[in-house]
Amino acid sequence: MKRRTFSRRDFLKTASSLGLVTAFGGIPADLFAMEGRLVRFPEKTDLILLTSRPPQLETPKHFFKELITPNEALFVRWHNANIPTSVDLRTWRIKVGGNTDRSFELSMDDLKGLPKVTYTAVIQCAGNGRSLFEPRVAGGQWGNGAMGNVTWSGARLKDVLARAGVKGDSVEVAFNGLDSGVLPSVPDLVKALPVDKALEEDLIIAYEMNGKPLTMLNGFPARLVVPGWYASYWVKALSDITVLSKPLATFWMDPAYRIPANPCACIPPGTKPGKTVPINRMDTRSLIIEPSAGNTLPAGKEVIISGLAFSGGYGIRDVVVSVDGGKVWREAKLGKDLGKYSWIQWSLPWRPSKKGKYTLMARATDSIGESQPLDSLWNPAGYMRNNIEKVAVTVR
Amino acid sequence: MKKIIVFTILAATATLLAQHPASPAHAGETDTVHSITLPEIPPTLKDGPGKDKVITLCAICHTPDYIPMQPRLPAKTWDAEVHKMIKAFGAPINEEDAKVIINYLTTEYGTGK
Ligand code: HEC
Repeated sequence: MKRRTFSRRDFLKTASSLGLVTAFGGIPADLFAMEGRLVRFPEKTDLILLTSRPPQLETPKHFFKELITPNEALFVRWHNANIPTSVDLRTWRIKVGGNTDRSFELSMDDLKGLPKVTYTAVIQCAGNGRSLFEPRVAGGQWGNGAMGNVTWSGARLKDVLARAGVKGDSVEVAFNGLDSGVLPSVPDLVKALPVDKALEEDLIIAYEMNGKPLTMLNGFPARLVVPGWYASYWVKALSDITVLSKPLATFWMDPAYRIPANPCACIPPGTKPGKTVPINRMDTRSLIIEPSAGNTLPAGKEVIISGLAFSGGYGIRDVVVSVDGGKVWREAKLGKDLGKYSWIQWSLPWRPSKKGKYTLMARATDSIGESQPLDSLWNPAGYMRNNIEKVAVTVR
Repeated sequence: MKKIIVFTILAATATLLAQHPASPAHAGETDTVHSITLPEIPPTLKDGPGKDKVITLCAICHTPDYIPMQPRLPAKTWDAEVHKMIKAFGAPINEEDAKVIINYLTTEYGTGK
């Protein structure tokens, strides 16, 4: 797979110069899911229920005021309903092999015997924000709570692959987990990465989240972490790592998890894409966490507009905020920097003097200049939402 | 006496665990089996003709709550969804039942188009 060489920002520049960017659409009622149906699953706190079997649970908004998402609050997303509910570490192994010089099995002790790497990285579902797509699309109807910022620890994938000896003609590395479909006809969730991506320094087989073992629902005992890339590749409860000499072409690689093969990964709403490529690196996002849409603020009193921002592995260079629907932008103050894969918190004090309605917006730019489009970009699967979100508030 | 103490400790641990379901007991230690029990949450489908078929045939692989989770979808999208379940995932649903189910879906969860 080719790296996307130009960004959505470049596209937007081109698009606006061509007059393709349309006027503002409607402002969604809230960017985050309603906390209507909270449920408590094992090892998790109260989360928003999307589906129970398999579990798909969304993180409530108030956790996004935190720099690190607590383990019990991290979102849960499984594809197939046979998910592991009991794992015996005495027998659990990751089988490593395929187009390699050697094949072997890794136990938890083996993994922990390899150099331990720790960093903080955003995990985000490809369909985060799908419920805000217009026209609406089928699929998991996430608000913006299918993301979290977690400190992961584990062994380098490349150390494991080096031990196996990847043969020269290899093209991809496939990852399978303990989950499976209820009927044999349901394709198993197996995901593959291009071999050069799999051999990058920063990918790890993580056995800890925030210093604790993974929760069962987040992939106990170990999951792949592909920092900067969408979570569909972060295969949970890893059981097999298989080096391939031919690209994997099963359901979850094609037609699932594909995006239009153009710089914006977008097509005109309601149409069908031509050529597609596997989804890959995350785009740049910023989200206003406070105030919330619909809030009423007192005139003349200072409020802090705050939120978070992250990119596909290139950190955040700056975040600018507008309180007048995008006419004037001011630079927000960035919080503690936990590295290029982490989200960063930002804030901007604001003292609205005049009463009335205001549209707050935030726009982040990463260190390679990739930013966010003004308008939402559409694709049929509802992936990669990253337009500048609008939060409408009233000052009284 | 010893037995009683052991029981008391077990009971105390059980109470602690019950109070802190979010903190598993040393999950991940190399010598342990780690297990959870998933809650059962009953589906919330609307009443309507065809619901019985949906409850049996659309609950084989996942909760039928995948249906009410969706936005209201036009008939052709519901048709495509049902046929995706059959073709891509091997849902054992014949065309006759598929028609009844699509009718239920477009009536109860459709856009009217
Ligand atoms: C053979 C197994 C199976 C059966 C039977 C089945 N489904 Fe599914 N369904 C799936 C799988 C697998 C997914 C994809 C899950 C994912 O992406 O997380 C899915 C996803 C869905 C979705 C979410 C949208 C999408 O396309 O991913 C809807 C809606 C849905 N199913 C409706 C139904 C309906 C209605 C029926 C009954 C006609 C049905 N399903 C029967 C396996 C099945």
